[in-house]
Amino acid sequence: MTDATDRPAGGREGRAGGREEPRDAAEAHGDAYPPSRSMLNAPVDPDWQKASADRLREVWKTPTGWRYWSAVNNSEVGTWYSLTAFFFMLCAGVLALLMRVQLAVPGNTFISADTFNQFFTMHGSAMMFLFAVPMFEALSILLLPALLGARDMPFPRLSAYGFWCFLIGGIFVLGSVLFGVGPTSGWFMYPPLATKSEGMGADIWLLGLSFIEVASIAAAVELIVGVLKCRPPGMRINLMPLYAWYVLVVGGMILFAFPPLIAGDFLFELERSFDWPFFDPERGGDPLLWQHLFWIFGHPEVYIIFLPSIAIAAMVVPTAAQRPIFGYSWIVLSAVGTGFLSFGLWAHHMFTTGLPALSLGFFSAASEAVVIPTGVQIFAFLATLIVGRATWSVPMLYIAGSLAIFTAGGLTGVMLALAPMDWQVHDTYFIVAHLHYTIFGGMVFPVMAGVYYFYPFFTKKMMSPILGRWAFWLSFVGFNITFLPMHFTGLMGMPRRVYTYPGGIGWDWPNLISTAGAFVVAAGFLVFAWDLVRPKGRQPHPPRNPWNAGTLEWTHDIPDPGWGVRSIPYVESRYPLWDQPKLVDRMDAGRYYLGDAEEGKRETLVTTVLDAVPVQCLRVGGPTWITHLAALFTGGAFIFPTFHIYPPAIVCGVLAVACVIWWLWTGTARPPEKTEKEIGLGLKVPIYVSGPAAPGWWGMWITMLADATAFASLIFGFFYYWTSSADFPPEGAAHVVSTWIWPGAAGLAASWGLTRLARRANRAGGVRAARIALAAAAVLTVAGTAAMLWSAQAAGLDPTSHVYPATVWAILVWTAVHLAAGCVMQLYCLAGSLFGKLTPEYDADLWNVSLYWNFMGATVLVAAAVVDLLPRMV
Amino acid sequence: MARQEERVEAKTFSEEQSSLWMIALGPTIWAVHFIVCYSATAVVCAKLQGLAADGWLLQGLIAGATAVALAGIAWVGWRSWRQWDFLDDGDHVHHQAVSEHRHEFLGHASFLLACLSFVGVLYVALPAVFVRGCL
Repeated sequence: MTDATDRPAGGREGRAGGREEPRDAAEAHGDAYPPSRSMLNAPVDPDWQKASADRLREVWKTPTGWRYWSAVNNSEVGTWYSLTAFFFMLCAGVLALLMRVQLAVPGNTFISADTFNQFFTMHGSAMMFLFAVPMFEALSILLLPALLGARDMPFPRLSAYGFWCFLIGGIFVLGSVLFGVGPTSGWFMYPPLATKSEGMGADIWLLGLSFIEVASIAAAVELIVGVLKCRPPGMRINLMPLYAWYVLVVGGMILFAFPPLIAGDFLFELERSFDWPFFDPERGGDPLLWQHLFWIFGHPEVYIIFLPSIAIAAMVVPTAAQRPIFGYSWIVLSAVGTGFLSFGLWAHHMFTTGLPALSLGFFSAASEAVVIPTGVQIFAFLATLIVGRATWSVPMLYIAGSLAIFTAGGLTGVMLALAPMDWQVHDTYFIVAHLHYTIFGGMVFPVMAGVYYFYPFFTKKMMSPILGRWAFWLSFVGFNITFLPMHFTGLMGMPRRVYTYPGGIGWDWPNLISTAGAFVVAAGFLVFAWDLVRPKGRQPHPPRNPWNAGTLEWTHDIPDPGWGVRSIPYVESRYPLWDQPKLVDRMDAGRYYLGDAEEGKRETLVTTVLDAVPVQCLRVGGPTWITHLAALFTGGAFIFPTFHIYPPAIVCGVLAVACVIWWLWTGTARPPEKTEKEIGLGLKVPIYVSGPAAPGWWGMWITMLADATAFASLIFGFFYYWTSSADFPPEGAAHVVSTWIWPGAAGLAASWGLTRLARRANRAGGVRAARIALAAAAVLTVAGTAAMLWSAQAAGLDPTSHVYPATVWAILVWTAVHLAAGCVMQLYCLAGSLFGKLTPEYDADLWNVSLYWNFMGATVLVAAAVVDLLPRMV
Repeated sequence: MARQEERVEAKTFSEEQSSLWMIALGPTIWAVHFIVCYSATAVVCAKLQGLAADGWLLQGLIAGATAVALAGIAWVGWRSWRQWDFLDDGDHVHHQAVSEHRHEFLGHASFLLACLSFVGVLYVALPAVFVRGCL
């Protein structure tokens, strides 16, 4: 109970028990940091206060008129993102209703079998890829900067680009149903059904969703860097809001979960478009590889949507209980633990595929183990509510409902994790009931709680408590009427995904009840949607902190001036609004950091990862159209191939790359007009940093981690074929030419070395040497890549003949595409050096590119070893 | 000046590097153990059917991997228990803005994760007790 009784007093006394002041901070900033009480108490000059507020307002003003759509600020992009995801969710919900109408009575002819197939495929795909995952990203983009007292995300234009990609891809994928050409093979697209399916449905699914996955990874990079580098000064890692912990874990999970699916999509589309037989058993392929790659993504994905939603509960519960969360460390344990364990569950979707019994046991055991951390956080919430004074606000009602439903879904999950139980009910309505219980309880209700809870922060208006209660009870009761009977329909043997069924075998009544319940849920959602969008112009603004919460998002000004926070506070508590009484006044007065915008540029503060010591004043991008163009061309590059039209796709791809280069060149890592600036409270920080202190370096690191995971998935494919088939590689198969691939790899390794050398030389002032090294590296990259590709061509490897040459080619093509990007980066740095963007003092680009090349070096060596050495060994 | 900021980042990092690793180490050992058990089963059952017939080869491999993993996690748990230093001041909340609380919080979190990973490894090893061979 110590956290209830001995909260920090606020101010400097709180630090008295500390073992040491951060020496490093003192060293860099002298006496200016951390700020002393007298510095914080010093009055603010009223003239400056007004002038600086005007400058800040001007800089962060949202564009008006049609230029509104060029905004990149997190509050605009986050709003569009969440409303779009909500709209897609309603569309997917309508598909579900239509399916329930078809299933209401036996032998119904309301919709055809093919339409039904399109509907269930699209319902699942849209709910997962167009609603659940993007909704997490959207809410995080909206919330995270506010929770961290930051002005914006570190890469606002990346968020905007991600959103426009999502919008284009989502409309394309969902729109296919309107033209009757939607995918029909179910949301997990099992081959050979999906690879052999006629029409373009499967291509739409694959390419459209790959496009959206790119947006998800972009969001993950943004959110991880946001949590690690954009916290307010003083917010050490033990003081982060729990929401930030969850976002960090989920961002990490996205990096390891989505890439296997991207690798799978890559193989799948090579098979669909070019007949490379990855999943075709007649030519050595294996359809089960897709199931592995899909579920290595698919199971963590369930937790990817569950954790951030339960994170909302971690924000709502302490507010409802009016006390700090009980067991902060335990919740961190549960978030991190669930993140890890959820990767050991994937094959529990494959219990009926004939894996060895022992393997089934491993996945069964891990599935049971994940219950432990999941349960821990629920008990932590309950403990918080018990020791606090819980009030029954509308958000709390939704959280309570979600815990009840999620627990029921979790219990059927414990049953299903046992293989013999799963064998009985696999692919029946029991599974449908289980997954809807977990997802409604684990994602939909917490998100609705979050919308009610954060609505005053998003819009500076309140939603109606009366409508909120109506929406809750309609959807809660309707949900149980719909899905509870499905447990029984499933146990009676009704398979999922059938478009109709015969009467008189006991399935009639449960189906009719489920259909009736579905309409009650729909009524609940209509009430919710109306409450969400109904005009609230005449309603007065609510108080600034209507729930009396303790975290920083409730310091926002009403009405919203667009600047996020007036000044970025110095934080000394997990619940600064409860523990630091003068915090809001000082923020409003501009007493803290970055209370001004003298140069008329958008700026936010970058701090260190562990102790949040200020290290940089980061200039972030303002409104722009380049993100729209980049998204449009990226869309073209993905969408044209669906129609098997390749030349425009290539043109679009090139233009997309050109847009991105222009965007980076004009908007990122520009040498500043001065080296450092005073950001308030006597603290001076640099405007430009490079290497591990810079957000861009972290962004590159995290992106490449995801990329390396995708590459590892391809390599896993190679090993998988080796274990699963008796003739991989087949007897007498041609292998790549060693005398080509190894010189190629050596040239690329030299290119890697030269890139690193260029960074060192440039920093030491050897600009000329760095330019020569970069130019030579680019030439070596081209030559080395050509040699690697030629090693397979010269050996006459035909990718359509057998899965072995196809796998070799897939690994080489993947490597070559990345090397092409690496070559562009080397030339980008060379151009930067020639045109004065990159100097010995300002070398962030070169740091990031040499980091990329560290990954490339490893990729090339692994690729060469796997395609050349391994086949000769086995 | 910018160079100095870059050094700040590097220094705090090196100060807490060991405890940062420690947070992920327990669960990582669990993950490696899981992959080893899964791959060993896949390879033995697919490629070494003859040897797998009596089942002792696999059982032995899994027992060995489990022993190593449990020892590793126990070491992580012991290190992080010392870092948490609970018996010294009884603090389990770590809510103050001081280096000591950050340090002990990281220890506490990795201790809890080590406990979870320990149980997780035991769970994953259990099937080998009940199932023999490559049915």
